[in-house]
Amino acid sequence: MGALQPSSPTAAAMPGVTEDLALGLDGNGDFDGRRRFYLLLLVPVLAILAGVTLLPICYLVVTSLTPLSLTNPLSAWNFSHPAGNYILLATDARLHQSLWTQAKLSIATVALQMLIGLGAALLVHRETRRPDLLRTLFLVPMVLPPIVVAIIWKVLYSPDISPFWWLFHTLGLAVPAPTTSAATALTAIVVADTWEWFPFTMLIILAALKTLPEEMVEAAHVDGASRWQMFLFVTLPHIRHALLVAGLFRLIDSIKAFPLIYILTEGGPGNVTEVTNYYTFTQAFGFSYIGYSSAITVLLVLLVIALSVAIVRIVEGRATA
Amino acid sequence: MTRDERGIGTAFVRIAVWSLALLAVLPFLWLVIMSFKTADDIFAGSSRLLFKPTLENYQGLFMPDFIRSFANSAITSLVSTTLALAIGAPGAYALARAARRQSRLVGMLILISRMVPPIAFTIPYFLVYRNIGLLDTRTGLILVYLTFNLSLVVWLMRGFFEGIPEALEEAARIDGASLWRTFVVIVLPLSAPALVTTAVLCFLYSWNDFFFALILTRSQAATAPVQVVNFMNYEGWEWGKIAAGGTLIMSPVLLLSIAMRRYLVSGMTAGAVK
Repeated sequence: MGALQPSSPTAAAMPGVTEDLALGLDGNGDFDGRRRFYLLLLVPVLAILAGVTLLPICYLVVTSLTPLSLTNPLSAWNFSHPAGNYILLATDARLHQSLWTQAKLSIATVALQMLIGLGAALLVHRETRRPDLLRTLFLVPMVLPPIVVAIIWKVLYSPDISPFWWLFHTLGLAVPAPTTSAATALTAIVVADTWEWFPFTMLIILAALKTLPEEMVEAAHVDGASRWQMFLFVTLPHIRHALLVAGLFRLIDSIKAFPLIYILTEGGPGNVTEVTNYYTFTQAFGFSYIGYSSAITVLLVLLVIALSVAIVRIVEGRATA
Repeated sequence: MTRDERGIGTAFVRIAVWSLALLAVLPFLWLVIMSFKTADDIFAGSSRLLFKPTLENYQGLFMPDFIRSFANSAITSLVSTTLALAIGAPGAYALARAARRQSRLVGMLILISRMVPPIAFTIPYFLVYRNIGLLDTRTGLILVYLTFNLSLVVWLMRGFFEGIPEALEEAARIDGASLWRTFVVIVLPLSAPALVTTAVLCFLYSWNDFFFALILTRSQAATAPVQVVNFMNYEGWEWGKIAAGGTLIMSPVLLLSIAMRRYLVSGMTAGAVK
């Protein structure tokens, strides 16, 4: 399933060669016919793809130029202050707060998932017993439906039914529920999110470790490299690319975080766990301020595009190197 | 390093790695176990490690709303997956064979559309659906799932078709097969494993969706993930039903993921990682 690779020059030259061959040997295929055939296959899918993705995004941008609110449908066509929502973005303190919360959540989860993922990958790489079972166990958190992950942590964070609080109770400790205290709510989300996604970074890093050439390891051994030197100068450079891709994917996905926050805290207490995506959801479907929430979303989309371009650059840079 | 030291190191790795694996599955197992407990046992907590398993939570799910939500999940996921494959696979083939240069631009657009936060699609779809009566319909959900399924199919299948040697197709052409026939008779059967993998991924993404269904459905077309959340609102928290519903929702996903675990990560990262 190799994607994202730019075509090599030889591959690009191939169609021409084979087309000439076909032209000479069979009577029914000419170059134009082939072109038309490919076009016939391509045009519908590109049209539908653009229709379901590009068109809605354009509509989103148009809506972001209006003061549209669901309580006043006529405002959908009011373009008298097209920059109004964008000016509001600059002064909305709750939005700025949400961006800060988003930054904290993203940095904490990505850093933890990278560290735990890396540690777990190095350990799993060395474990020889039942490797397949081991990998399957680690797969569980990341393939569960996100709503089920949210339910699981809701259970674990509810003192009256959680096994942890049963333990605390037995030990005579009085621990408040982490999701209801402003000091710990965001940490509670970080812990749940890290549990859900560290297997993802782990599996990517593990795949990279598997491709580490045996000769390199042996050569380093012969040269008397210590374990640390081995890790720093042999292993780390080899998996650098995998680390980068895993981190960027998690970073982008962390912007979409929703079910955990929706189920565990609803953005609260106060708004300490209200990340930008959740704030947008509240503005759009809680307060019905569609125009303004569209403007925030445009901001998020631009951010995601920048990060995606970075991924493509890294992957292609490596493919051509 | 002496043999003893190495032995201790290996033992340490073994303990650490299996403890971590246990940490990954224990929270999930806790929910499954909870789904077989009576309300009494749930609130008695871990003090009753030994309990008499019951099916009453599952029996409690046998009501029209929940059954319908499960059917909605299955129908929307399956139909959207099928549509995405039927529309996307031929296009991916053409992209792989004819338009290698444009293919990069399309690839970039597809990657971006997969990365964009769902809210960017939900707002415009919500506005349009409100006007054309597609809110709270399965058709509406199936269409919106195409936003990620169609791009996933084009992306993954293009990569796969590029890997099939063209010589095979030329041989069929020389024997007088038309281009379409070559695609259907030669290329598609060769792609069966990739088609299945892609289909499973599409199914998983649709089945796991919560956000789109939360906003674009109310009751008639509500999917299982949305319906199970309702047990959290009405008449207090029905923990037993929540656990049983969660277990039912995750079982098909878990089975499919384990069956295709080798291809999961490369699919989830759209080929950026192999």
